[in-house]
Amino acid sequence: MDKELIARGVKRCSTGRFLLWILPWVGLLAFGLFAAALCLVKGLNQTNMDNRFAFGLWIFLDLTVIALGAGAFFTGFLLYILKVKELKAVINSAVVIGLVCYSGAVTVLAVDVGQPLRAWFTFWYPNVHSMLTEVTFCISCYLTVLAIEYVPIVLKNRRLRDVPHLMVFEHELHKLVYVLAGVGTFLSFFHQGSLGGLYGVLRGRPFAFREGLFIWPSTFFLFILSAAAVGPSFLICITWAVEKISRKRLVRQEVYRVLARISGLLLAVYTAAKSIDTLVWINRTSPGAGFLAEQYYSWRPFGTWILLVEIIGCGLVPALVLLSPRLRQSTRWMVAAAAVACCGVALNRFVLTVQTLALPTLPFDEFLSYVPSWQEVGTFLAVVAYGVLVYSISFRYFRLFPQERELRVESAAAEAEAEFELVER
Amino acid sequence: MFPWNYGFEWNTSHVIFLGAFYTVLVVVATTVVSALVRARRDLRARRDEDIRWHSEFEDLPAADRACRHVLTGEFKRRECPNAFDCRKCETHARLIENRPVVAEEGEDEIFGMAFPLDRYYHRGHTWARPETDGTVTVGLDELASRLTGTPDIIELPAVGTQVRVNGPALRIRKRNADVRLLSPVDGEVVETGGPEKDWLLRVKPAAEGGRTFRHLLRGTEIRPWLLRELERLQLALTMEGAGPALADGGVPVGDMAEACPGADWDAVCGKMFLEP
Repeated sequence: MDKELIARGVKRCSTGRFLLWILPWVGLLAFGLFAAALCLVKGLNQTNMDNRFAFGLWIFLDLTVIALGAGAFFTGFLLYILKVKELKAVINSAVVIGLVCYSGAVTVLAVDVGQPLRAWFTFWYPNVHSMLTEVTFCISCYLTVLAIEYVPIVLKNRRLRDVPHLMVFEHELHKLVYVLAGVGTFLSFFHQGSLGGLYGVLRGRPFAFREGLFIWPSTFFLFILSAAAVGPSFLICITWAVEKISRKRLVRQEVYRVLARISGLLLAVYTAAKSIDTLVWINRTSPGAGFLAEQYYSWRPFGTWILLVEIIGCGLVPALVLLSPRLRQSTRWMVAAAAVACCGVALNRFVLTVQTLALPTLPFDEFLSYVPSWQEVGTFLAVVAYGVLVYSISFRYFRLFPQERELRVESAAAEAEAEFELVER
Repeated sequence: MFPWNYGFEWNTSHVIFLGAFYTVLVVVATTVVSALVRARRDLRARRDEDIRWHSEFEDLPAADRACRHVLTGEFKRRECPNAFDCRKCETHARLIENRPVVAEEGEDEIFGMAFPLDRYYHRGHTWARPETDGTVTVGLDELASRLTGTPDIIELPAVGTQVRVNGPALRIRKRNADVRLLSPVDGEVVETGGPEKDWLLRVKPAAEGGRTFRHLLRGTEIRPWLLRELERLQLALTMEGAGPALADGGVPVGDMAEACPGADWDAVCGKMFLEP
């Protein structure tokens, strides 16, 4: 039915099967939209957040997806600025992932902040001393850049290319995409940093407070590094998952290896920086604020295990696996390490968001626990469903993996050769 | 925020922060506007077909972008850097100067298909034959004819239409296939043929002289090219649901699309006629 919209030379499942695949996700999205609408209409009393636990599941989700979506800016930077040509095979997919992650994050943030009709206030009356203002400006700008980067991918669709105006515009826009990649890198650099800086400047929360360079706490740099490190890892995981679900080869193994090597290298640097930062915090920053670091870890379930898992289990170990040429050769090891690295960044964002707020700081404070309400979970799931839907539609109708067709030809040629040899024997 | 908004102050923070923000906005807006302006300029200069072909050429698999001198064995591996427009290729000029292509007469028979040697062949399976009156006749080669058999619809350009090398010359629909065929020459269509004739267009070439056909294959180049095309066809048929083909040493049937109705002919024709 929709065959004319699908690129030539690639195989996609039937329309019926595709509809069956997207149906549950549409249901989940509808449920999540209902939950989000409740929050917007009735207010944040629909959530389990309060004045103490002002950041919950949504902010954790925002920080995580923005870190995972960093593959878009970092891949663009490597391809268009540093000319790592192998990454051309995944750049379209990276842009879609980035767009999904950032638009999902902005939507959830809009529900969290509420009062969408006053959203423009943040641009018209910004507090230029606030890290949040920097985050808002950079995320909204970068989302615009990602949307513009997505346009050539859409316009490459077979039917849209029949319209000469769209085809020529796509061609010209694509020629200038390196400018957008540069702007995206600049914006991502600052907002990833600002998101980290947001926690680092919390003087009233010594668990999160960090020293740093000039106005930037160390978390500013750690967030940039961690996002750049796991962006390629997330790209590995998504590409591998799409290959498994669609049962097709989409990129050459060397593309995986390049992504793994880059991710491993950056993850190793991040792990080293995070370890140094933790040591400085344990020995200087925290005692300076009147707390011994061990005090933070006396509240269960947030024992020291969480710190060890984050730095060693989800940092050092995957970094070593991804850096090892022998282990990197094995898809199983490589994907597992990339997935663990992604979990590590999620754990880091969870610790900074939830553990920071759960721990008591003042003498009359208590250790708090927080469980998100179903409305919060519903909104969270809506973002996941939205992401799957946008990616699925993009994968079906747009050319996310330029090597797919070539790999199909190569596989067919290899099969034909094998058959021929069999007949000859 | 602008200087006249409530809360704005002329201090370093405001100037740096808002300056960076507005710079980003200006760069992004300029990029989009610039793309729009350039697109408008391209459309006015009628470069759209040229752009389309270059874009499609980039989308072809690397093996399909092979230089013509790879086909003849002069290079082991080389991708065409000029999107099959050898008129501006210095390497091609040098090679044919050292080893001119031998023009032959009669016709070459390849797997039961006749390829007259009085004409030039385009890599997209059209041919161009210079006529004594200065016009050029354009038609489909035997492989293309057997692929499409009797087409359901042939859309020919109107008399007076300007066609360009590697631009669309005509469109063919057959079963589920809907493909354009590339023009082998630049010029103005002066007459149209059709299935009842052995040619499709008569074109008054835009330029005269040896360079008009320099990008096209001829003589001794035709056989190696066709053998490679048959390999591509065999692979395409295997991939697109026609099953193994030609393995018994037979020849292509007269109307392949009718012989294998279950195959995805749109994909097969797209591959063979260089429309990815």
